Amino acid sequence: MKKKSIKKKTILVIEDERPLLEAVNAKLEKNGFGVINARSVDQVFDAMLETNGLGVIAARSIKQALDYLEDLEKIDAIWLDHNLLGKENGIDFVKKFKANGGRWNNIPIFVVSNTEGSDTIKSYVNLGVSKYYVKSNHRLDEIINDINLSLDHPKEKTR
Amino acid sequence: MDKKTIFSTSNDTIFKLKILAEEKESVRRKLVVTANMLSLKAKQLAATAKEKENVRRKLLITAEKLKKSRETLEKKVLERTKSLEMARAKEEAILLSIGDGLIATDKIGKIILMNKTAEKLLERKSTDVVGKVFYKTISLEDERGVVIPLEKDPVSIALHTNTTVATNTTDPIYYTRKNKTKIPLAIMVTPVILNKKVIGTIKVFRDITNERQIDKAKTEFVSLASHQLRTPLSTVNWYAEMLLAGDVGELNPKQQKYLEEVYHSNQRMVELVNALLDVSRLELGTFTMEPKPTDITELTQNVIDEQRPQINTKVINFSFSSEKIPLINADPKLLRMVVQNILSNAVKYTPKKGKIRMSISLKDKKNVLLKVTDTGYGIPKNQHSKIFLKLFRADNVRDKDTDGTGLGLYIVKSIVENSGGKIWFESPKENRGTKFFVSFPVNGMIKKLS
Repeated sequence: MKKKSIKKKTILVIEDERPLLEAVNAKLEKNGFGVINARSVDQVFDAMLETNGLGVIAARSIKQALDYLEDLEKIDAIWLDHNLLGKENGIDFVKKFKANGGRWNNIPIFVVSNTEGSDTIKSYVNLGVSKYYVKSNHRLDEIINDINLSLDHPKEKTR
Repeated sequence: MDKKTIFSTSNDTIFKLKILAEEKESVRRKLVVTANMLSLKAKQLAATAKEKENVRRKLLITAEKLKKSRETLEKKVLERTKSLEMARAKEEAILLSIGDGLIATDKIGKIILMNKTAEKLLERKSTDVVGKVFYKTISLEDERGVVIPLEKDPVSIALHTNTTVATNTTDPIYYTRKNKTKIPLAIMVTPVILNKKVIGTIKVFRDITNERQIDKAKTEFVSLASHQLRTPLSTVNWYAEMLLAGDVGELNPKQQKYLEEVYHSNQRMVELVNALLDVSRLELGTFTMEPKPTDITELTQNVIDEQRPQINTKVINFSFSSEKIPLINADPKLLRMVVQNILSNAVKYTPKKGKIRMSISLKDKKNVLLKVTDTGYGIPKNQHSKIFLKLFRADNVRDKDTDGTGLGLYIVKSIVENSGGKIWFESPKENRGTKFFVSFPVNGMIKKLS
């Protein structure tokens, strides 16, 4: 159940390119409200954590991401890149994530990647992600706006 | 005593002797006749013998001749057999060295011939399958392992429609081998026609596992290239956006302006990379076409809505009209690219307060015609032939304040022609506007076995 605005929403961002990760973190935080405690391993993430923003947990590989999920109480949405550090990619993450079932199945996943292979996109759609964005074709604030709308109105799917 | 009685015999005896003598004479005569007859017979026999000898000699000669004839005949037969064997061997060599599997069927689909490659590919002996109905003996499946139904079986379709039927590499038909591996096949079935009637089919097929792997490698290459090129572009995009939004401090007007140039240039780069990726996909043949029933009017309206900001900024008098068009079998993604490109060109190359008319109509129930007319810069006559070339931009627009990759029309033409459509334009005089026409067959982007 989504409560309006009082509780800060948390986004898990999984992106391997450091500059992009930092950019996404910064923008998400600028768009949020409330404070969240988050465990962090990434030093850069530490430096970016602000009190007024969406709590951002940054992970660069699947292992990191799953480790965070184990620990954290509440993640509202996931921002996922397709190409990641390590051997596994975004699709592997979604599979592992969905395999956990339960509450996690309702967490919307937004895939933001620069790969455009139709097979790749199809796989993600079939696995049930909320939306697929080709990074270089979208503004950062546009994607974040979509995520916000989607979290406020979880039943409406942005096309 | 008298002389008669001493020396003479009785009259009786004389008589008897006379008779005897006569008899002897008679016998002698008879013997002579007989002897003559015998002599004649002997002569005859001799003659016969001679004749026989002649005949025998002739027969001998004839026998010799026959023998020679027979030998010649045997030689000829041998030669003929050899040449037939050669011809057969050549045929077989051709069939074998086709390298492709070949199966010939009669008009009801019964197999009459299967070559060695087919035997190897399908792991069946031709002696096992000849005489059996193709569809029942050899089981083919689609990508998901579902058996191909009779109506979709290529041999069946060829027999019914009298046309050549082919599968494509993107949607192959699979055959499961004994070791459970599925091999993708490219199949082409040609009906054999005699006196205007179909009397059978020839089916040629091959294992395209390698081709599919190459295709996969190509797609992965384009995919990787796209990712590598786009990542730094995304970084510049987003950081520029954040700076321009004032996220890390307010900018002075000059800083704002300079940063906008950076951002704008980067956007051009993004468009160029997108276009180049489309081009490489087209040229590598990895562009997938996924036709589905599409409402072209709705799609066009959508594209127009996207272009509204630019249309309004330039205060362009824009109108769109469309007849009632049935759903056309088209890949919406590609159709959108076509409509978007033609429209954005019209908007781009028409100066402020110009006019653009867009219309969709149905021509002879078979084709849909998209027409876009503008009052813009037009295309100089001497550049008409180059308009569809890669990276070509006409001189007259290069010095106007417009951007362009020079790839749009090249991509659009490829898509349109690959879909069985046509694209052409009219621009009789510079600065007197341009009319672009695109026609699409209602029935579909590509007639392929699915």
